[in-house]
Amino acid sequence: MKHFIKVVRAEAHKQFRNKIHNVWVVFSMLIWPILAFAAAYFQFKPFSFEAITEKVSYLNDESIITYIMIGYFAMVFFRSFVQSAWEFSSERIYGTLELIYLSPASRIAIILGNAIASLAINVWMFALFMTGIYILFNQVPLMNGAVLTLALAMMVLMSILWGMLLNALFLFTRDSGMLFTVLEEPMELFAGVKIPVQLFPLWAKGIGLAFPLTYVIKLLREVVFLGHNLAEVSALFYTCIFICTIMFVATVFILKWGERHNAITGDMALF
Amino acid sequence: MIEARNLKKTYHTKVKKGLFKREKDIVEAVKGIHLKLEKGQIIGLLGINGAGKTTTIKMLSTLIKATSGEILVDGVEINENPLKIKQKVNMIAGGERMIYWRLTGRENLWYYGQLYGIPDKVLKTRIDRLLTLVGLNEKQNVPVERYSKGMKQRLQIARGLINDPDYLFMDEPTLGLDAPIAREIRTYIKKLAIEEQKGILLTSHYINEVEALCDYIYILDHGEVILEGTAKTLSESTFETKITVLELAEMNSEIEASMQRFAVEENAIIHRSPDAYLIRFESKNELTEALVKRIHSENLPLSKLYVEAPKLEDTIIEISRRVNS
Amino acid sequence: MFIKSIKATFIRDWITQLRAYPMHFFIGNVLTVFYTVLGAFFMYHLLFQGHLKASFEQYTGTSDYMTYVIIGSLAYALVVRTLLNVSRSLITELRQGTLESLMLAPFSRIGYFIGNMLQQTITSLGEVFLSMIFCLIFGLSVGTINGVTFVVSLVMTLYAYFGLSLCLGAIMLYTRDTYISQNTLFLFIFLVSGVIFPVEYLPKYLNVIGASLPVRDSIVILRAAVMDGVTIESLSPIYLRLFLLGTGYFVVGYSAIKKIERIALEKIFG
Repeated sequence: MKHFIKVVRAEAHKQFRNKIHNVWVVFSMLIWPILAFAAAYFQFKPFSFEAITEKVSYLNDESIITYIMIGYFAMVFFRSFVQSAWEFSSERIYGTLELIYLSPASRIAIILGNAIASLAINVWMFALFMTGIYILFNQVPLMNGAVLTLALAMMVLMSILWGMLLNALFLFTRDSGMLFTVLEEPMELFAGVKIPVQLFPLWAKGIGLAFPLTYVIKLLREVVFLGHNLAEVSALFYTCIFICTIMFVATVFILKWGERHNAITGDMALF
Repeated sequence: MIEARNLKKTYHTKVKKGLFKREKDIVEAVKGIHLKLEKGQIIGLLGINGAGKTTTIKMLSTLIKATSGEILVDGVEINENPLKIKQKVNMIAGGERMIYWRLTGRENLWYYGQLYGIPDKVLKTRIDRLLTLVGLNEKQNVPVERYSKGMKQRLQIARGLINDPDYLFMDEPTLGLDAPIAREIRTYIKKLAIEEQKGILLTSHYINEVEALCDYIYILDHGEVILEGTAKTLSESTFETKITVLELAEMNSEIEASMQRFAVEENAIIHRSPDAYLIRFESKNELTEALVKRIHSENLPLSKLYVEAPKLEDTIIEISRRVNS
Repeated sequence: MFIKSIKATFIRDWITQLRAYPMHFFIGNVLTVFYTVLGAFFMYHLLFQGHLKASFEQYTGTSDYMTYVIIGSLAYALVVRTLLNVSRSLITELRQGTLESLMLAPFSRIGYFIGNMLQQTITSLGEVFLSMIFCLIFGLSVGTINGVTFVVSLVMTLYAYFGLSLCLGAIMLYTRDTYISQNTLFLFIFLVSGVIFPVEYLPKYLNVIGASLPVRDSIVILRAAVMDGVTIESLSPIYLRLFLLGTGYFVVGYSAIKKIERIALEKIFG
């Protein structure tokens, strides 16, 4: 266990040192989400909210900022990993992945350390910006601070597991460009960042349910807008824990499979 | 001691043929190798590209699995407890990859040290010692991207020693380095075996490097050991052929006949090249002196005369031919 | 010389494209339109069930939200594609090391860019028309289109995008970056150009910047041609403005590139 934690720390530290010079983080994790967030906000402007109170009770001209904020806030957490997992896959190209495999270090610890570092580097600016927006346009009072904290913790946990899964996937993928195309835009649409998933037709709902982000957004909106207490969101919490388990198992499986595949074929790319 | 017995590795690859068609391709990279490596010893794997050197190293270092055969590390089968074996071995490859350029030298060593679960205090003194050993003490806090090629290579060596391995595999450690830096690296390698009692396996395609460093040499060709022995026995039997090249300003049948007579007298083989004015003599002894005399006595129109070092490819083809016949 | 440069660049780019057409570029582009339009479709039909504010019709003169959004999205795809290719052409030459050999030849720069643009236009129009097929399913209606106005609007649009892409190309060549500059510009264009919502909803200062980019006017004239079927004459003030804007960008971009080329070459040799 002690070794595990040491490896997590070392990997996080390495990634931190490796990436901190990168200016693009400011753009891709702050300026771009802000521009997209603003466009989403104005996209709602032509619509009349009175007509939909029976569909989504909490959506109105006042709450719309907070509503979109939650979607984009959670999305940035999850999206930060797509970019950094793509970078992580370069370890294979530079040969350092081989050296990691040469060591007895826990593979899961490496992937975890890497995900934690990405999160720490990528999202703090946007989180700060969002907090600022919330304070400025404070139209939806915060209820249930304790449940909200739990929900935010769940968001961090799920996004880290999502990051680990992506890291594992990207490590063993030959064509990371394709994964990128599949993960970037559909996640924004189908995970309900702008439109609640429950209104989707069945096929779209099905795609939405495949993204862990969907559950996080639903959880956060229910806590913030409906003031649900722990008992009322417990089912959702359990679902989240279940999905976390699936992601974790999938990550372990891919890592083991990838290493074994490499040991047999001498080729790191699985897919 | 590391002992490999009848080690084989077969790759099954799929080659894309068109959009959906795939063809299976079977490559026998290593076809039954036996080898032994003791602590404090340097052994060499010599071979041209594709001979199976890197595959062998990767099997010995736990990175890839042998299709058949066994590897014993200090008497323990390698697959029995790979994590324990990983503590005892490490690998150093040539080139500038495999280290993080944005990190400093010390940070690189620290990171890899963590992966081996080395206690902090031990790690700190070890990093200090290794940095001194490879002469990077002054540059330890400089990012690797500002290192020269030789410094990066030295850092690679320090990195390979971070877990204080008993056995070290070096894959072309001097690849692409200038002669003085390569010489310097060789000195380190020798020091590691003698002073630190490491068992070192070295691959190379420079004959002289292997000759100078290794106690025992295996020559690999197409996945097989075609010859093995100490540097001394090998050099007597194979490396000693000398090639003397003679270039004349003109050529006619008379000169040609005379050269053939010369070859018979001196027990040499003639290799003709596409260039009609150029003749290569292959022999045990150097022929320069005898040739100069002959040219002088027959008044031949000499334009060039020099001795050529045998190319590894030629040597291996030659050995392979001899072994097969 | 001028025509030769156009022709040679066109043919070279055409061959490159035929040999190594990055499929995911193509799929990615069509998919982007698809996601944008599908998102708008969900929002309009599922969430708001067709309930628009009165202000929408007041600002746009139409209540056909889907056609409004689709034309905007297609024009956006066109600007992205043009900017991606024309702007990146010189920096690609720099990266693959052909810029020097290009500069050695006494070729016409404008011809080079026009050839590049023409080749690009054919491909991107192909993509746009392909996207239009599924857009028809989402409710794009083209019954009222005025063909002549549409063609003129399209030509004006391409002219204006050409000027803009030279400016972006100059920025790329100077900063040697494509990733950050192009994506930032795209997102910004998307926000201020009235792609999927009327710009009247935007705060004033964003509108000032938005009006200085040619994309907004180009979307206006394309929408007018398809949705209102108006004549060329009624759009002439906008055509004039777009022409001036496009020319402005062209002059600035072209002279900047000429200067930066030299700096870029010095950097290679130095």
